[in-house]
Amino acid sequence: MSGVNLSGIVKSYGAVQVVHGIDLDVAEKEFVVLVGPSGCGKSTTLRMIAGLEEITAGDLTIDDKRMNRIAPKDRDVAMVFQNYALYPHLNVADNMAFGLRIRKMPKAEIQTTIADVAEILGLTDYLERRPADLSGGQRQRVAMGRAIVRHPKVFLFDEPLSNLDAKLRTQMRAEIKRLHNRLGVTSVYVTHDQVEAMTLADRIVVMNDGRIEQIGTPMELFNDPANIFVAGFLGSPPMNMVNGVLTKNSAKIGATEVKLNGALANHVGREVVVGIRPEHVTLKASAKTSPLPITMDLVEPLGSEALLHARFGKQEMVFKAETKGDIAPLWNVDKVHVTTDLVKLFDAQTGQALNLRG
Amino acid sequence: MQNWNLYARGDKIFAIVVSILIGMFTVATLYPFIYIAAVSFSSGFAAQAGKVVLTPVDATLEAYGYIIKDPQFWISYRNTFIYTIGGTIMSLLFIIPGAYALSRRQLKGRRFFNLFIAFTMWFNAGLIPFFLNMRDLNLLDSMFGIILAFAVNAFNIILLRNFFEAIPQSFEEAARMDGANDFQVLWKVFVPLSKPAIATITLFCIVSRWNGFFWAMVLLQSEEKIPLKVFLRHTISNLSDDDEFAIVQTAAGFSAETVTAAIIVCSIIPVLIVYPFIQKYFEKGILLGGVKE
Amino acid sequence: MADKNLPTDGRFTRLFDHFKREWQIYAMLLPTIVWFIVFLYKPMYGLQIAFKDYSIFRGVAGSPWIGIEHFQTLFGNDQFLRAVSNTIKISALNLLFGFPAPIILALMFNEILHATYKRTAQTIVYLPHFISSVIIAGIVITAFSPTLGIVNIILGWFGLDSIYFLTQPQWFRPIFVGTGIWQEAGFGSIVFLAAIAGVNPSLYESAVVDGANRWQMMWKITIPSILPTILIMLIIRIGNVMEVSFELVILLYQPATYETADVVNTWIYRQGLQSGQYDLAAAGGLFNAVVAFVLVMTANTLSRRFSRTSLW
Repeated sequence: MSGVNLSGIVKSYGAVQVVHGIDLDVAEKEFVVLVGPSGCGKSTTLRMIAGLEEITAGDLTIDDKRMNRIAPKDRDVAMVFQNYALYPHLNVADNMAFGLRIRKMPKAEIQTTIADVAEILGLTDYLERRPADLSGGQRQRVAMGRAIVRHPKVFLFDEPLSNLDAKLRTQMRAEIKRLHNRLGVTSVYVTHDQVEAMTLADRIVVMNDGRIEQIGTPMELFNDPANIFVAGFLGSPPMNMVNGVLTKNSAKIGATEVKLNGALANHVGREVVVGIRPEHVTLKASAKTSPLPITMDLVEPLGSEALLHARFGKQEMVFKAETKGDIAPLWNVDKVHVTTDLVKLFDAQTGQALNLRG
Repeated sequence: MQNWNLYARGDKIFAIVVSILIGMFTVATLYPFIYIAAVSFSSGFAAQAGKVVLTPVDATLEAYGYIIKDPQFWISYRNTFIYTIGGTIMSLLFIIPGAYALSRRQLKGRRFFNLFIAFTMWFNAGLIPFFLNMRDLNLLDSMFGIILAFAVNAFNIILLRNFFEAIPQSFEEAARMDGANDFQVLWKVFVPLSKPAIATITLFCIVSRWNGFFWAMVLLQSEEKIPLKVFLRHTISNLSDDDEFAIVQTAAGFSAETVTAAIIVCSIIPVLIVYPFIQKYFEKGILLGGVKE
Repeated sequence: MADKNLPTDGRFTRLFDHFKREWQIYAMLLPTIVWFIVFLYKPMYGLQIAFKDYSIFRGVAGSPWIGIEHFQTLFGNDQFLRAVSNTIKISALNLLFGFPAPIILALMFNEILHATYKRTAQTIVYLPHFISSVIIAGIVITAFSPTLGIVNIILGWFGLDSIYFLTQPQWFRPIFVGTGIWQEAGFGSIVFLAAIAGVNPSLYESAVVDGANRWQMMWKITIPSILPTILIMLIIRIGNVMEVSFELVILLYQPATYETADVVNTWIYRQGLQSGQYDLAAAGGLFNAVVAFVLVMTANTLSRRFSRTSLW
């Protein structure tokens, strides 16, 4: 099997284990995003693939070749660093040529390669400039250019957009995606930003505490989070979570019963965490909804929609609602209607998703 | 924050007083140099009579005429250049790779090696064992010995090591993924990125070599190997005791003092020429020198 | 999975890998380490002659042990004891007058508004630091000469008799310490200027708004802000008490002024390098080195305690 394969990858620093056995297969041409909070081991995992960190245990193969003890330069991977690591004393062309020169590529070939890549990235006019004279987005492109010129088997990205402002980040995100579609190189991308993960990934790997929580396409993870952690991590604003107890056709939260479809008879009295995404409520009741009384705290207009910061009992919750041009009426909302089909249930003890309605 | 037009009257007076005091200190710093220059251009007789205060009296170039005719002056001048250039190159050849290695996380025993080097800043065997060691190594009266034995010091290595350590790790990692080995990482990435620190260390080396005197005096016997500073020392202590010279000098229009002053001027001039160019480096350098163990 | 069944790499495999992959940094380190061994650690081994009856012909290892005889001689030797006492006295004077000088200078530079004036003055006062002690000594000898020296010329203007300063013991220390200030105060101010530059400007702005004048700001803001730096420089200075710049002493003293001028290192120099009593001189050196080591280590420990708030 080609692509990048990790099996039982462990990383320890002395007695402290920070990555506890990662199994992951990245298919050829696939774009996989590792996402998780800081310190979850995603960067360490990426750096092990790159060869910048030794692998304590487990096997790493790239295109079926075991890479554990191969030097980074011989792994045929290229990496884009968070701070770009552009050499300030070299101009754009020399920065991109650095690796090719070290690998003793013939001069003429270097020139055509750089010209081609600069063309792709729109850097042709900037080849003579030093990194200090470039904008953030241009530096980002040079950093990618330096990876692309090498025609590696695998691209590794270590939070490449986190130094950019929000607007530029959105723009560069799209550019990376387009580039991947065009070049079709296997990519592993690390970020802590769930929006980046959702928008870029063919598949997302959610990591926490040195372990993989869930692997799947963005929509799989969004629609069917495997546990509370994944549910809370993906989606913005995050899913509202509240403790409840199951009855035979509802989840009882305090005095309120949220109706649920499905066969719950065997689970009456089970303690659960009820997850309601902010967008999965309406302001009008229907047959498919169940009412939730709230006290409005704050209405934040975003334009076409608004965020409703409200309290349900003592619990703070956030919902989304359409504004229809005026937010004043939203201040008077005293109940929202939860779409019963879309309510998520998790085991209160294990945090794992419960699928009781199948 | 500091704006003259917005100053209260008291603050203005304060600033003026301080400016005057600084001016006085500056003049006091500069004056001895002017005075020495004036002596060097004065006649021996006028100098002896205590007439030289600010400007040359009975202006003459006799003292300079005397030293430029002395072949030893030129030999020692040349030697100073050899020691300075050779010694500085030697220092950099040790310090740059050494500091790089010590800055690498992957170096096993890194703590030990750093301590091994830093320890020499705190404990020093002293003059006698060092001297006897030089003798055992057969480096007495050897120009190469001088160049080699003072090539490295812990302070410079630690200074550069700290600078290397502050370079973001991703620069090295990026170069490594591009296929660079350590020598290439050092030469193509770290050295260009560390120009200010290396310039500072080069400056420290040049200054200490140019001024080096004590060990040159102790270790070198041959006249043809001594640097200018030792020559100057000889001149100061010899000329004034030399009766024959005392007779010649009066007739010739120079004296031991004017000759000494002339040698001083000759050996300061190169410092004054490069001084303006190096100033920005030593100001930075002294701050880089925040030595962490 | 191609070779999933391969065993995890063992400890020695990884160590072997490490040296195979990283040999270059060890190669880079080697010359420096060898240099330190040959030129700095081997003399430490040679220090054992302080406990031996050293003879050039038998060498360091071959000379017979005699225990602490040299140290007994040392502490019965008036000249050595005088040198220790002189070292401490000169250092104390240096500390008292030489330490505050660069701080005062830095505070004054900070008050100067005219950028060019400030820059020029700084350039000039830094200069003497770069001048060799031989030249400094030459300048001092000339300036204090009884016949043509400017100091005596000035004394003459006031009708005073000329003094042969450098032959009179009571003048040696003032001249030596004064020369040190002249040479190093300017350069020493750089550290304090940097500390001052690091003070948050909004502190001054809020003081201005509160109606403080420059003098008050200096005492209430600048000095407290640079206090950690002052403290650390002071500790470093105290740690170096045994390090009187003996090059300059050798150049300025003469037998007539040994009484006040002779310091430990100049004593060692005469005893060892001029009179050839290597073992006794090495014993003096060892004493000096141990005292200095204890002082420096104490100073390091102290400065680490303060260093969290400082520029180091």
